[in-house]
Amino acid sequence: MADTQIPVGGSDELVDLAAETEQMSETAKRLAAVDAEGLSENPKSFGKLAWERFLNHRLALLGAIGLVLIFLAFYFAPYLSDYSFDEPDVVRRLEGPSWDHPFGTDTIGRDLYVRTAQGGRYSMRIGITVAILSTVFGTLMGAVAGYFGKAIDIVVSQVINLFLVVPYLVILAVFAQKFGSSANGLSVVLALLLWTRIARVVRGVVFSIKEQEFIMAARSAGASHVRIIFRHVIPNVVGAIAVEITLLLGTAIVLESTLSFLGLGVQPPNASLGTLVADAKSNIDDDPLRVLTPGLCIVFIVLCVNFLGDGLRDALDPRSKAEGNKPVKAAKDKNAAGVDAGEAVGSV
Amino acid sequence: MSEPVLRVENLNVGFHTKSGVVQAVTDANFEINAGETLAVVGESGSGKSVTALALMRLHPRNTEISGRVMFRGHDLLAMSEPEMRAIRGRDVSMIFQDPMTAMNPVFTVGAQIVEAIRIHSDVSKEVAWSRAVSLLEMVGVPEPKQRASQYPHEYSGGMRQRAMIAMAISNDPVLLIADEPTTALDVTVQAQVMDVLADVQKETGTAMMLITHDLGLVAGSADRVQVMYASRLMETGDLEDIFYESRNPYTRALLDSIPDLEGTKTELEPIPGNPPSLLNQNVGCAFRPRCSWAIDRCGVEDPALVTIDGAHASRCHRVDDLTAHAQTEAAR
Repeated sequence: MADTQIPVGGSDELVDLAAETEQMSETAKRLAAVDAEGLSENPKSFGKLAWERFLNHRLALLGAIGLVLIFLAFYFAPYLSDYSFDEPDVVRRLEGPSWDHPFGTDTIGRDLYVRTAQGGRYSMRIGITVAILSTVFGTLMGAVAGYFGKAIDIVVSQVINLFLVVPYLVILAVFAQKFGSSANGLSVVLALLLWTRIARVVRGVVFSIKEQEFIMAARSAGASHVRIIFRHVIPNVVGAIAVEITLLLGTAIVLESTLSFLGLGVQPPNASLGTLVADAKSNIDDDPLRVLTPGLCIVFIVLCVNFLGDGLRDALDPRSKAEGNKPVKAAKDKNAAGVDAGEAVGSV
Repeated sequence: MSEPVLRVENLNVGFHTKSGVVQAVTDANFEINAGETLAVVGESGSGKSVTALALMRLHPRNTEISGRVMFRGHDLLAMSEPEMRAIRGRDVSMIFQDPMTAMNPVFTVGAQIVEAIRIHSDVSKEVAWSRAVSLLEMVGVPEPKQRASQYPHEYSGGMRQRAMIAMAISNDPVLLIADEPTTALDVTVQAQVMDVLADVQKETGTAMMLITHDLGLVAGSADRVQVMYASRLMETGDLEDIFYESRNPYTRALLDSIPDLEGTKTELEPIPGNPPSLLNQNVGCAFRPRCSWAIDRCGVEDPALVTIDGAHASRCHRVDDLTAHAQTEAAR
């Protein structure tokens, strides 16, 4: 079929085809030159490459900029506004947005921009603490389970499975009664619930990493198991969990907001993004803006963090190149062919 | 003659599986002297890699292992794990088959050599780094300074294998185990890597155990050869003994299956059949079903390793017949 169509296409297509072939052969020449030297092209440092890859990742860049902006908006709120987060002003209740009160005021006349910023700081702090705690714990557990396998793996896996069936909100509701009022207490409780997500991913990745020859090579160089886990296994996991960490940060923020929304998290007069939504929900028909602003803040933070994680994963992988990894792949294919030839000629 | 660097006595390695014990190495006895290259040749699954891993005590956990591996007067198999770790990479080090996967992809080549050095000697990072650079230069990596700060994926296969060699010799090992070091490489690169290994050996005086299935490679680089088949040592001897005076049907069959680039064109003679399963092995010579010399006795009695002269020994019931045959051939 294809054979018969080529002459019908006319000269234009043939010219295109010729140009394409020429281009291909040029690439091949370049590759051959690179391969002959045994070098890849213009070496750059890893940091520079990672930074380039990150800058090329538009969404990630957008996420980073968005996070910086919202961070600044939250942390400089006390200096930007004359109002305090817990200072009522009964005369100016339920006001709409104005220059004076950019987000309006709540039912007892407190400035909602300052309150949103305060709640945002609280939410971000919890999100970051939970992400760090559960990443550290989850990575360790997952790496140990995956690396040693056998009984250790069975125990850890069963614990992970146990957490799968636990209804988060019920557990959280119980513990939040006790620890929910302090940000650190709530962070620890959330981390204890969420570490299994990281552990599950890490365990799976480690199972494939530990079979790779460089682990055996490290052992043959005299490295201990502890050193192998920390130096060889965990650094190879980072790319795989970068996204999971950011998802976790988002989940933590959402869970905290949920708890606060239910009245179990942060206690008045302090605010979190969740309590702000809860406070405003009774008036949602008349005044949807008051629900939307903290709600959109949550969405915005979580979205930015996820974009950022996506970009970090791509940037931190030393195997991916800023302009795509074609040369590496081509070299590999060539080598594979070489193996076959070698086997056929000289092997037993 | 001085004490050999490594003396393996009655080494047996078996893996426990659901369907029984897979005997991967049966009654291996051999030694490696300082500065010499011992080639271990055999088909896939003949137990050569398992032998190497057992020497390093890197075998999987479900392994049953017995015998003695005497390394400079100490039995490696009787050592504690920390003692063994101190030996790995310092006194005995290993080069792996696939340079594509034998390096950690997230660290620079230099950093990995530095790590290998610093596991065993208490030197500063700077000192270790400059040693890494000079090691890379020694194995023929061009522009070693820049190359050291690059990642494995930026190296080609041959360059990576050179870097692996640099890493393996970073602590001046007494014994270097090369497990099919050139199998994953182009034929032209294979020659280069073997040259590097030979140079390294000349320079450092290390003993080498070269594991390969490539008899061509053996002819160019080994001092002594031992041929393995189905977990057993079939024949061992000096290079000339094996290539020109072989007294074992399996070795002969192997040699007949290599193309000869000189002389008249003759058809290659492949060995019929496949290697036997190592699971629940029967009595008798393992090569018997594929052997053109097989007699009834081969099916009922395990052949023993018969010394022919000096270091040359063969595991076959028909060594005398083979000798007679060789003599008549030579006379003709």
